[in-house]
Amino acid sequence: MNNKPKNITLSELPKHNVYQVPEDYFDRLPTRIMERTAAAPQQAWLPARMWQGMRVAMAPLILLAMFVGVYYFTLESQPDQQAINMAVVTDTEIVDYLTANASLESADFAELNTIQNQELTADFLNVSPVAAEEELEYYHLRDTDY
Amino acid sequence: MEDKEILEKFANPDSRNLAFNQLVRKYQQKIYWHIRKMVIDHEDADDLTQEVFLKVWKNLENFRQDAQLYTWLYRIATNECLTFLSSKKRKFFLPINDVAAELAEKIDTSVNISGDEIQLKLQKALLKLPDKQRLVFNMKYYDDLKYEEISEILGTSVGALKASYHLAVKKIEEFLKQD
Repeated sequence: MNNKPKNITLSELPKHNVYQVPEDYFDRLPTRIMERTAAAPQQAWLPARMWQGMRVAMAPLILLAMFVGVYYFTLESQPDQQAINMAVVTDTEIVDYLTANASLESADFAELNTIQNQELTADFLNVSPVAAEEELEYYHLRDTDY
Repeated sequence: MEDKEILEKFANPDSRNLAFNQLVRKYQQKIYWHIRKMVIDHEDADDLTQEVFLKVWKNLENFRQDAQLYTWLYRIATNECLTFLSSKKRKFFLPINDVAAELAEKIDTSVNISGDEIQLKLQKALLKLPDKQRLVFNMKYYDDLKYEEISEILGTSVGALKASYHLAVKKIEEFLKQD
């Protein structure tokens, strides 16, 4: 007798489950699952979960923001600090400092020539013509060709 | 116990475990057989069924009741199956046909599988189908789900599902004709 299936359509076949499970499998499965759920934490409420994820992503951003903030704070506070420091220094102290420490070089006077070409006012230069003449004589610069 | 009642009891911390136990008892067989027909091996199906219910446990609180509970469970189980099968292919660098051949061999050798020749041949024919088409066939043919329900589970249009099912039937019948 030939049992080989030929030209069989699905509608002719009985729906038979060929798979089996070990004995009492479905009686024991709920207990096994419940044992595992006892050790598994439930997901927190959605915003809380989102916050947990965002925390990690935001850490480098917060760090960057802190660096930028510190940088700008330092940048902006520096000129003010200098202005405050200079404000408390008296004119006498400035003159004393310059007399003791400042030294002029010929290159400094070269800059004066440049400034002269820019038609800067005598007020800006803050030096009288007589004083300038004296300086030039003192440093023998009148005939120096730059 | 109705799904609505299970969900209400689950929302209450005092009756949460009892409600979840009811949910497992109610749906364990549907979910297990859905998985088993996809992965063939009992041990794999057992592992995946437990994983599905663990995911349900962790996420049931966020389940929005605009979907049916069982379609949500089917969706989780379906995703677990597809992930498992694709990881199996990646893990062993196997092409799709080799995974199908491996599963077909289990049909011949497993102690937990028995049936007459034509029934076993039908199972082997199913393994010739792409995984998603096999899912559609199983849910329609064995589980008697409506196309609308399968559409909700797989996120595929009803028209595409009908076409997929009829194509699957044609392929299977062609395979059954072969010696």
